[in-house]
Amino acid sequence: MHKEAAIRQPLILGNKSYHDITVDVISPIENKAPRAWYVLITITGLISLWGLGCITYLISTGIGVWGLNKTVGWAWDITNFVWWVGIGHAGTLISAVLLLFRQKWRMAINRSAEAMTIFAVMMAALFPGIHMGRIWVAYWVLPLPNTFGSLWVNFNSPLLWDVFAISTYFTVSLVFWYIGLIPDFATIRDRMTNPLTKKIYGLLSFGWSGRAKHWTRFEEVSLVLAGLATPLVFSVHSIVSMDFATSVIPGWHTTIFPPYFVSGAVFSGFAMVLTLLLIMRKVMKLENYITIKHIEYMNIVIIVTGSIVGVAYLTELFISWYSGVEYESYAFINRFSGPYAWSYWIMMTCNVISPQLFWFKKIRTNLTATFILSIVVNIGMWFERFVIIVTSLHRDYVPSSWSMFYPTWVDIGIFLGTIGIFFTLFLLFARFFPVLALNELKTILKVSGEKYKKEDH
Amino acid sequence: MASNKKYWVGLEELHGTPGFQEASKNEFAPDSVSVDEFLGEGNLGESSTNRRDFLKFLGFGVTAATIAACETPVIKSIPYVNKPESITPGVPTYYASTFFDGTDYGSILVKTREGRPIFIKGNKKHGLNKGSLTARMNSSVLSLYDGTRLKAPVAEGKETTWAEIDKSITSELTTVSGNGKTIALLTGTIISPSTRQAINAFVLKYGEGNVKVIAYDAVSAYGIRKGNELSFGKAMIPDYNFAKAKTIVSISADFMNSWLLNTQYLPDYLKNRNPDADWMSKHFQFESTLSLTGSNADHRAAILPSQEGAVALALYNEVAKKLGASAYNVSTDGLPIEAITKAAESLYANRGAALVIAGCNDPNLQVVVNALNSLLDSYGNTISNNAETFVKQGNDTDVLALVSDMNAGKIGALIVYGVNPAYSLPNAEGFAEGLAKVGTTISFSSWADETASRCKFICPDNHYLESWNDYYPKTGHYALAQPTIGKLYDTRQAQDSILTWSGIESSYHEYIKGVWQKYATSMGSESLLFDDLWNNALRNGALSVNESTIVFEALINAENVQSAASILAAGGASSDGYEVVLYTKVGIGDGTHATNPWLQELPDPISKITWDNYIAMNPADAEQFGFNLHYGQELPASMARITVGDKSVELPVIAQPGQKRGSVSIALGYGRGANGENIGRAAFRTKNYGGYELDSTGNRIPIGKNVYPMVEVKDGVMIYHNHGAAIEAIGATFPIAATQTHHTLMGRDSVLRETTLAVFKSSPRSVYNPQHLLAIHEGGEIVKKDVNEIDIWNAHPVEGVGHRWGMSIDLTTCIGCGACITSCHSENNVPVVGKDEVRRGRDMHWLRIDRYYSSEQNMEKAEKEGTGVITAYREMEVPEYDNPSTVHMPMMCQHCNHAPCETVCPVAATTHSNEGLNQMTYNRCIGTRYCANNCPYKVRRFNWFNYKAYGKFGEVNPAQDEMARMVLNPDVTVRARGVMEKCSMCVQRIQGGKLAAKIKGEPVSDGNIITACAEACPTEAITFGDLNDVKSKVRTHADNDRSYHALDEVGAKPNVSYKVKVRNV
Repeated sequence: MHKEAAIRQPLILGNKSYHDITVDVISPIENKAPRAWYVLITITGLISLWGLGCITYLISTGIGVWGLNKTVGWAWDITNFVWWVGIGHAGTLISAVLLLFRQKWRMAINRSAEAMTIFAVMMAALFPGIHMGRIWVAYWVLPLPNTFGSLWVNFNSPLLWDVFAISTYFTVSLVFWYIGLIPDFATIRDRMTNPLTKKIYGLLSFGWSGRAKHWTRFEEVSLVLAGLATPLVFSVHSIVSMDFATSVIPGWHTTIFPPYFVSGAVFSGFAMVLTLLLIMRKVMKLENYITIKHIEYMNIVIIVTGSIVGVAYLTELFISWYSGVEYESYAFINRFSGPYAWSYWIMMTCNVISPQLFWFKKIRTNLTATFILSIVVNIGMWFERFVIIVTSLHRDYVPSSWSMFYPTWVDIGIFLGTIGIFFTLFLLFARFFPVLALNELKTILKVSGEKYKKEDH
Repeated sequence: MASNKKYWVGLEELHGTPGFQEASKNEFAPDSVSVDEFLGEGNLGESSTNRRDFLKFLGFGVTAATIAACETPVIKSIPYVNKPESITPGVPTYYASTFFDGTDYGSILVKTREGRPIFIKGNKKHGLNKGSLTARMNSSVLSLYDGTRLKAPVAEGKETTWAEIDKSITSELTTVSGNGKTIALLTGTIISPSTRQAINAFVLKYGEGNVKVIAYDAVSAYGIRKGNELSFGKAMIPDYNFAKAKTIVSISADFMNSWLLNTQYLPDYLKNRNPDADWMSKHFQFESTLSLTGSNADHRAAILPSQEGAVALALYNEVAKKLGASAYNVSTDGLPIEAITKAAESLYANRGAALVIAGCNDPNLQVVVNALNSLLDSYGNTISNNAETFVKQGNDTDVLALVSDMNAGKIGALIVYGVNPAYSLPNAEGFAEGLAKVGTTISFSSWADETASRCKFICPDNHYLESWNDYYPKTGHYALAQPTIGKLYDTRQAQDSILTWSGIESSYHEYIKGVWQKYATSMGSESLLFDDLWNNALRNGALSVNESTIVFEALINAENVQSAASILAAGGASSDGYEVVLYTKVGIGDGTHATNPWLQELPDPISKITWDNYIAMNPADAEQFGFNLHYGQELPASMARITVGDKSVELPVIAQPGQKRGSVSIALGYGRGANGENIGRAAFRTKNYGGYELDSTGNRIPIGKNVYPMVEVKDGVMIYHNHGAAIEAIGATFPIAATQTHHTLMGRDSVLRETTLAVFKSSPRSVYNPQHLLAIHEGGEIVKKDVNEIDIWNAHPVEGVGHRWGMSIDLTTCIGCGACITSCHSENNVPVVGKDEVRRGRDMHWLRIDRYYSSEQNMEKAEKEGTGVITAYREMEVPEYDNPSTVHMPMMCQHCNHAPCETVCPVAATTHSNEGLNQMTYNRCIGTRYCANNCPYKVRRFNWFNYKAYGKFGEVNPAQDEMARMVLNPDVTVRARGVMEKCSMCVQRIQGGKLAAKIKGEPVSDGNIITACAEACPTEAITFGDLNDVKSKVRTHADNDRSYHALDEVGAKPNVSYKVKVRNV
């Protein structure tokens, strides 16, 4: 049995019993969804449809419907890609790394964080697909035996590494998430009265019976998957960063990128988790599970990763000067003083300055402030990728080719569309899936006292 | 044990029964079922097919039919029944011919494939242009396939037949000549002896007194002829010999672009621009607008158009002072004294090998220039007095007189040939009014253009590639043009029409032969047989003979110089307002080529703007007006209204460094088809999503504005500048499409290097072309190492292994004319994308020419003055306003040996060939654009849309036109949407050349394979060849001390090298 130190605040507040947890988590699935849910999903659904329409237009007409040009060959597409991949990192970090470190507080947030990861990676994976000129031959990036002659993929290309990294990451995350869901699905199954839903949840729960043997295996698999997922947390974004780091473009060609990208990813991922959870805990009345403590912990992670990112920014600047390479130094001078200086300073303000506010306990325990700052951080992290991609490309080696990038309505539409799809998926998740890992949560319930033992759990 | 055993089929055969003998006579056994019986319907009723089988068959049948219907549509290619002798499918045939359109003249070679002309290059072996050509010339192949050309003769707006139109025209002409009214024949410059003869026959037919032949050039050089008349008593243009000139001073003569016989002058000029040679010519340019020629001058001084006379006089005086001759009075206020002194010194030092030219049509200026040339002993040296140039014969006075005659009703019939006066005359309105008063009006135009659409009869001329012709551009030079394709439409060569109306029945081809036969001996026919002379001339395209005649005595009429000098000294002071220079652009010239999308999309060599004309104004002036100084995708230009006299147009204003303050420049040749004339698809403004922009009356809006009405007519001479212009901002903006929007080099001398002749001659390589050294750690010490020695790769050896195709580009001789760009367009089926896409930075040029202006700021200066680095960089972005030095740098795929693009492609669609080429496999490309991002030279081009079918490009891309599609090179794929493309170093030519060598059984010899750009380069700045062939030209260039690789420190190890630009300052 779990032993909770007396001094520590319990992880679950509100004198919950086992039964309360079950009810709290499953009632949204059992009951009719509130009106707000319908309103929200209508809005996000419409945005998704708009995005899908833009994607259809893009694929049917050509990449030219975006604002790219001969100098800036990637802009919002890859910015969005990296941004979404980055967001995905928090889920895996929370569930895998914190599992390995036995951080019990993760249990209240890991389920939704993982869901967020899955959805974010889905959104991310969309972009490398649709940014291709000929998406209909996208499968050529897979090393498949083929009849085209002896054609094989180019293993030197970081884009190919991306393919492997993202697909592995997605698969492992999905499996990890799903394994965690199995006991909870079983609980839902057991409570369902409608035969159809009972059947569905029954299928989803893989015949879970809650036997001790099942639980042992569950724990073992979780541990193994956590072990597998942990290096992925670091590898995925390192590899994404190599898209840039292995190139020759000043501003991209930087060895600092892998750690810098990983910490940036965790930074933005935690911010996105906060954005989602702060809404969810309020709407779904989960204040007792996702407590101020959780939020504070996450804010601390944000301070740490935000500071790493800030140091990375300054290191880049220093190295660009120290290198003595005129292209390198110009690339950074241009970043903070050129035509895209505004985006650089948005990035600096949002990512370096704003998280430092969390040093104040008042701010990091204040929900409104946290919510606002979490959005600010995500804006900042989007701009970080925009700055890296666009401001490096738009003025590289040969001044004759220097240009500007202006997004079109399709660029904007697709980005908004992915946000719409992401939230639609998340809303569906909140409606039909247990948003908290309820069976895991029961293990951290403070039970060492008579008052916690209620009659019917 | 060989034995001849006999085998028999059966006992019947063995025994030879009568039955067998009988049966062996029949081919088929007698009891076999006959075909009729087999197919007969008799047994059908007995068929055992039951209902189920029937359904099976039905199902099979329907499926089979459906599958068959899915087959891709069959496009029939019809094979030759008898293979024509000269056509082998897949093998090009070249015909020597000649191009002349009134602006450009040159001997060309026309490449035809399966009977279709698809590519034009200069004829390097014959003809006075020595292979040089302009972008306008090699793009002219596209206009052949223009689907908007008239397809039959038109009488009073209706299509008719040649027989009928001939009948009505001859009867009308006879009536007119019978009435004693004048028949006027308004032609462009005619340098064809046979055409002249045909016209003479026409004149004789309708009465010498009745027919007037008037030559008219849209951009005339009448002032030069007139000036020479004043100086030497003969209205002519002498032959300039740039090859002998050690100092060239040009006062506004744009001889690299369009001035007189530019295609002859260019190769001559460039002969002396080799810094490795003993001497290098020195070129001074005094001009108002930054012209192509000015951008290549060693010294350029900006002057007002009204100062040209004063500059000429000041130069004269300076030289005269040195020679002890008398000077003329002139005020030197506001003149660039320093440049004038320098130029005069150089002229004086090189007298006898000096050349002064002036572009202005003011006869007085020409007289002074002639006097100066005479003073410098140019006649007989750099200016020949026993050869005459016959281009630009236009007589402005006569043309203007014709217009008033037409309005006075004196003209009974007007035949317009090769010109478009209703568009290009300064008083085009007057011409149009007069035209309405002429009873019989005939045009030979290929389009119902501004003039032709107002004519009663249009007898569309053949395209020149469908025509026979001969030329006599200057003394001693003959040339022939021959058809390279049958007539595409029911057109007829103008000369044939003239011959028909003159009652001569022979075809023009025969007629030319007749004319040549007559002059065969004077052409120096060494052969006794005329056929030999003819065939030889036809095969070579041109014929040079030694005709030593004294054209004029180089004795200056001093009196006229005195009066010209006093007129120049007195005049010139400009009135209030701006002076306006009207110039012709490198792309569409005088407007003839306005419908050619290749030329519309060809960036102006100076401004890099496509698809527009504009008011070029000095940035300082533009600043005062508050006009936008920058143009870019979302940075439109400010619109202004410019008024000269009673003529005013609204045009965007471009801040043009180098433009003289107080003057503006506007290009002629735009605003074609303003009244909705059907002159071609590419001459009109298109909308962002395809379709034309229409004005309120439903007419298509032309690109740019016609500024011919602003041409000043002074004493019966058209002068291509004007004064007293009022400019006002009108508050609107206009999008500008430029291929380059950043104009300075930002001090990046590893991209582009330049030096001066003095430094080059006196210093070691490390001064003007230093190696890139990188500091690295070796044995605990910091060592400086050449970047080429440092490598993290285990590279494949390239030196000496097989072929290694490479290129060398001499920045000293590249003048930025753009002929290579259109040549590449033509050879490689590069899509035309139109103004909106160019504005969005998506031009598809495989080869571009980067143009950089100097800036007043640089890092050394900033350091010395303590300017901060951010400020310094910002100031370096700004070009010098008044007189920047300009460089042109052709940039295409560098075919790097360590190509950054190759490593990043996930599907290995771009790879390195074992011959040093960076190849693009379109089929394999999935379009991630990673390669383009990672290219340090930014030369990769992405197919953003399906250019050959998407509606947006319907009006601009030739590949979308049934006819124009025929210009596509069948050796090169038309790329699909979503794939990357770039310079392939004309891999199809390399393969072709290798194949040819293989068939011959010998190694590829240097010079046999040449890329389209190198072939087009009039200055031979581009050399292509095998770098592993140590004796090749390109290897020699690459090993030269001036040779460097752009961005060497990136380590891409390009196969393209550049040679440092050397200025003779």
